[in-house]
Amino acid sequence: MSSNSQKRRQITGGDLRKNAPSPSHYGRKRGSDGQLRSQGDPQPSLGAKGEHRHTDNRSERQASFTTPETVRPLSRCKDWGSEVEESEMRMSVNRDMQRYRRRILTAEFSSRERKVSSGSCDSRDSASPTELETDENVLLRRQKQINYGKNTLAYDRYIKEVPKHLRQSGVHPRTPNKFRKYSRRSWDQQIKMWKVKLHTWDPPAQDGDLQAIEQIDLGEVMDIELDPDGETCKTSAGDEMDCFSVTPRKMKKTEELPQV
Amino acid sequence: MRGFIANDPSCTTKFLISDGVNARSLVRSLVNRMEGSGKEEYKIQSFDMETQKLLKTALKDPSAVDLEKVSSVIVDQSLKDQVFSKEAGRICYTIVQAEAKQNNGSVFRRNLLNRLQQEFKGREEMRKRSLQEWVCYVSFICNVFDYLKVNNMPMMALVHPVYDCLFRLTQPDSLRNEEEVDCLVLALHRIGEQLERMSLQRMDELFCQLRDGFLLQENLTSLGRLLLLEVLEFRAGGWTLSDTAQKYYYSEVAD
Repeated sequence: MSSNSQKRRQITGGDLRKNAPSPSHYGRKRGSDGQLRSQGDPQPSLGAKGEHRHTDNRSERQASFTTPETVRPLSRCKDWGSEVEESEMRMSVNRDMQRYRRRILTAEFSSRERKVSSGSCDSRDSASPTELETDENVLLRRQKQINYGKNTLAYDRYIKEVPKHLRQSGVHPRTPNKFRKYSRRSWDQQIKMWKVKLHTWDPPAQDGDLQAIEQIDLGEVMDIELDPDGETCKTSAGDEMDCFSVTPRKMKKTEELPQV
Repeated sequence: MRGFIANDPSCTTKFLISDGVNARSLVRSLVNRMEGSGKEEYKIQSFDMETQKLLKTALKDPSAVDLEKVSSVIVDQSLKDQVFSKEAGRICYTIVQAEAKQNNGSVFRRNLLNRLQQEFKGREEMRKRSLQEWVCYVSFICNVFDYLKVNNMPMMALVHPVYDCLFRLTQPDSLRNEEEVDCLVLALHRIGEQLERMSLQRMDELFCQLRDGFLLQENLTSLGRLLLLEVLEFRAGGWTLSDTAQKYYYSEVAD
């Protein structure tokens, strides 16, 4: 992975910057610094030196960066704004976790009477508590990636257009389930896929010079179930990107578009 | 005066008012200090009309305004206006909630906190430059701590900075100034209990400083001593005054 300092500092979506050229960022309502976007530039990243300017007396503890996933106390150099945001996210991730665990338990409990389908695709096995992702830092990172995708006009339009009960698996994008155990690569690809699917709901062009949205052919992708509820089959997401190499042409988001 | 002395058989009263200051006016000033100052909810009447308009819009429709400017305006005013600095937390809270509800954003909060952090770093210089501004800053950051909760929990990031400010106020050069003592005890009344929950150890240390100050510092004013004594009793009573102490400090005395 890329430099630790960059990863650590960004709160929203910083991880993704080094991945795809990210056409998704054109549909973003807000930049990584939280400001409503007026232009497409991402926030310039500061080097380690720049970080010091924003710190308080605890800066001396920043001296050495350890591996990204190490749990560090909040006294690690941050501005108060970021500290509070991160702690807020941590709390909500933990709350989500409790809720998810409850859901699984009740689902397991009520499913005991039903016939269990055979084969390795039995999702009830994979939803057992021992297979949950519990590392807070991993969850936090995943949550940030999810937030990044949800912080788009496309997502807003999508959830307005298609209420949950009308969603068909395979047709409609589903948010990857951050509580399931996946390899890093698998997870990152799921996120990518999900965001690509979301582009279907990008706002239409108003300016004649811009290209119209292409309907993305989701054919190959239909085989892969993204299952946030843990109720459908989980397949290995390792090879899905091989069948889907087209980068859909996207619209630039313009500020004149009606906001929510 | 008579009633005041009658409440207290010990020689404490003589000690407190030995410089001849009217005890009743002391008590009255204590009472007035504690009361909230009034009607207007957000106390924005001290702003000019254009800014008032900006703030009112921010409260209703945060995405329609430049939230960085809004936070800057609020902080600037808090550093100048003592009344506002004690109550500005509430307007901040409302804007944070409004922004979160409207678009799940936290631009205002982030800007507010980072500005507070900036001022915090320069607090010693601020105090040298202007005691008034320093006192306003402390009132403001405590007020923000009080109002701006995250999932109903106080913001961790502010706990130690707030303590640092209060500790500064227990230094001898601060205890000597009534305004700083006043600021300190008001803060403890409002957020002492919460702060203690976040760090008992630091609160204990803080109160050691307060006791030392009360006991050993020679250049305290009468009011300063009164304020310190009251807050010492307040904490000792579990962040509330016993009935007798309440009567002692706060009952209106007829001449």
